[in-house]
Amino acid sequence: MSQATTNVYAGIIAQFQRLTLFIERILNSTFSQKYNPFYYHGALPNFFLWVLFISGLLLFAYYNPTLEGAYPSLEYMTKQIPSGALFRALHRYAADGMMIFVLLHFFRVWFTDRYREYRILPWITGVILITVLYLAGLTGYMLIWDSESVALTYMTVNFLNSIPGIGSSLASLLIGGDIVTDYTLTRYLFLHLGIPASMLFLLWWHYLRITRPVTNAPLVLNLMLFGGLLVACGLWPVGIGEAPNLATPSASIEVDWLYMLPHGMLANGASPFLAWVVLLGIPVAMLLLPYLQKKQFRGQFAQVVNENCTGCSLCYHDCPYEAIEMMDRDDDTRFKRIAVVDPGRCANCGLCVGACAFKAIEIPRMNTERVFKEIQVALGSAQS
Amino acid sequence: MNQRRKLKVVALVCERSVDFKDKLDNAHYMSECPDVNVIQLPCSGQIQPAMIEAALKGGADGIITTGCRIGDCHYREGNKFLRARILGERQPKLRASVDRKRLQAYWLSALEYHRFKEMAGEFVEFLSGYQPETPQKPEKKAPSKAAE
Repeated sequence: MSQATTNVYAGIIAQFQRLTLFIERILNSTFSQKYNPFYYHGALPNFFLWVLFISGLLLFAYYNPTLEGAYPSLEYMTKQIPSGALFRALHRYAADGMMIFVLLHFFRVWFTDRYREYRILPWITGVILITVLYLAGLTGYMLIWDSESVALTYMTVNFLNSIPGIGSSLASLLIGGDIVTDYTLTRYLFLHLGIPASMLFLLWWHYLRITRPVTNAPLVLNLMLFGGLLVACGLWPVGIGEAPNLATPSASIEVDWLYMLPHGMLANGASPFLAWVVLLGIPVAMLLLPYLQKKQFRGQFAQVVNENCTGCSLCYHDCPYEAIEMMDRDDDTRFKRIAVVDPGRCANCGLCVGACAFKAIEIPRMNTERVFKEIQVALGSAQS
Repeated sequence: MNQRRKLKVVALVCERSVDFKDKLDNAHYMSECPDVNVIQLPCSGQIQPAMIEAALKGGADGIITTGCRIGDCHYREGNKFLRARILGERQPKLRASVDRKRLQAYWLSALEYHRFKEMAGEFVEFLSGYQPETPQKPEKKAPSKAAE
């Protein structure tokens, strides 16, 4: 990557950062700083995850994963069970809401330059989480098993078959055999439960390097989102399509672009190759983004001044990235423990410096000594 | 108003909050508010209470600390920690004997230079007529702007 390209990229990101700050200033004046939704961009998708989990449990209780039984069970849920249609709509719109807020999270983290170096682990797991969320949503649409779901299944099978070599094996993995059978529905159910379950593990990984992750937004924001969901459920109720017919599936599908990007492209006449390039290109591009900029503080990290450290562990508690560990010490001091910095996790932020009352930890780019010196100079009392 | 002496106000500012590009002279004084000397740090969380105490002891008339909007720290928690230290809720605490009327904390984004200028101007105006009570008693804390 040449220097010029890197600079152009950094300049573009800086402009997007100003745009983000501008939007946040407007939101601060309406929501106040304390309830600004942009300050909970990572926590808001979790709210949708809870809605999806609870509404999904109810749908799971009544779902019948067989070729003959799936559609009638959906019909029963929608028409017979009190507020069954509401739960289906909640499940549908919470899935859309989750993807929208995950993308908001993605863009904000990208634009505010919080995605590289010491944040690489959350970034990579985040890209995997987006992919997993996408697959979870897509399998949900297939599970409905009305005539559109059959069309979606055929489309997906053809799409997988377009890969030379392994395509047909992937397709039979998806539908549980060479043709659509009862096993197809159990396979879909397994995928739709198993893929989201893996998100729990991935979320743990996503939070691993963060000392105090914000996993819940304030109640008032969650209630606002829930209100929004209910409004969407009321305005656009989720019904059920025609009964499935394996020989004549629905001629067209209603495309949810958040979860059916390649299907939407194929329906609009794109070639399978182009759809694959887009589908695979997006996550690969996301993974490559952090390497477009050169590192800010190569080889720098917080330095513990061993003779000053008292082992009080204030810096250990304050470090936002779990980069400080308290170790036993056995040198000739009366202190039993000492702070040790993990260079790979250190952000060079200086929060440990602010936590230290003993001048025992320093970051190279702004020495404490220098701050005191600059204060003296500002007050005109420096000894020159 | 032009008669008053030049005050010594030190502003310890996070480099990611208020943007001082082209707003400072060579000695880091604000060109639009010459009483204020700006020292920029990587994060407001790096500010030690000892720095504030040292500045006041060294003859500063007032101190301003500035971090990003609460909720938007680039390093997650720096501004919250500084606020808690000023309010005496987090170790190491700012000493209770520090005259809170001579200390202001602002939480502003990179786009809010004008807000900083306004508030700093009002602060300087206030400080120019301010006589610290002597002897200082730590029993009563003056409301600090940090609570905003």
